[in-house]
Amino acid sequence: MNVMFNKRDPVYVQVIRYFKEQIATGMFESGQEIPSRRELANRLKINPNTAQRAYKEMEEAGLIYTERNLPSKITKDEAILKSVRQELIMEAVDDFVSSIRSINVPVDEVLDLVKETFENEDDK
Amino acid sequence: MIEVNDIKKKFGRKQVLNGVSFTAEKGKITCIIGINGVGKTTIMNAIMNLTPLNGGQILMNGESIGKQSYEQITFIPDAIIMQPNMTIAESMQFMTDFYDSWNQERATELLDFFKLQESEKINNLSKGNRAKVNLLLGLALDVDYLLMDEPFSGIDIFSREQIAEVFTSHLVEDRGVIITTHEINDIEHLIDKAVLLDEGKVLTEFNSEEVRETEGKSVVDVMREVYQQ
Repeated sequence: MNVMFNKRDPVYVQVIRYFKEQIATGMFESGQEIPSRRELANRLKINPNTAQRAYKEMEEAGLIYTERNLPSKITKDEAILKSVRQELIMEAVDDFVSSIRSINVPVDEVLDLVKETFENEDDK
Repeated sequence: MIEVNDIKKKFGRKQVLNGVSFTAEKGKITCIIGINGVGKTTIMNAIMNLTPLNGGQILMNGESIGKQSYEQITFIPDAIIMQPNMTIAESMQFMTDFYDSWNQERATELLDFFKLQESEKINNLSKGNRAKVNLLLGLALDVDYLLMDEPFSGIDIFSREQIAEVFTSHLVEDRGVIITTHEINDIEHLIDKAVLLDEGKVLTEFNSEEVRETEGKSVVDVMREVYQQ
């Protein structure tokens, strides 16, 4: 587990984002056990209260769940898991669109370039 | 909770603390930041009741601190104060003899965590390892609050990382931690609260996660604003 944190976004938000990425890429699977709050803080070298906050928010959003004294787990709710992937894709697209808009390029030209770059990346 | 209320301290004609106030809670890491010579260590000494004040007061859980504060607070100075020809084992024995609150189990765990050999002499240790022994001796006491004076200063990056790891582990548990530092960069993500000090006064006191959330600023951003005004 290795996360590069930036210094200006709340750390708990960055932790949640990390979890979402792991879910979207299938690194964290439905129903999988996740580290305890203390373990997470320790591994990421973040404040334990921040890890606690991240877990609380994720629990409220239904991303993870905790049954009594057992370790917390990734949700088994397929709809939520699917929406995480969707959310990350849309975020990336929005970011991309807003930065490309400022350069004033026609959308078709951009799409061709995107495809080209994508294919080149795959070859690597 | 430790409440520092408007404390003042003079050394000769020099007003080192000129009305310093802040609070530190259990289960949180409070970081006192300031460039050297702004009275950080004096504040620590005052909390430990080691230096008489010229004004103000310090409360722990609502009561004025006194001699018994030793039983609930530990001060870890910026350099180890054991005799250099002692071994680690001997300095641990020294702590056992002097403090009822010594927790051997935690001490052993810390030794293991820091990969230190009990038989080594303090003299022969690297600077980083000496800092770890220093920390170990304080952390192994069962107290509610840990005061650490510049725990990250002057040691190598790997030792710093290891020490940072201790802060997030069960070895600190839900105790209250107050650390002083003049170098915040490494530990921004570790602390709950920052208290910025200058010329014997608290310039500002804030929750670091909150400042990131509401203003999109890092601790260093706030420092830049406050100190360069």
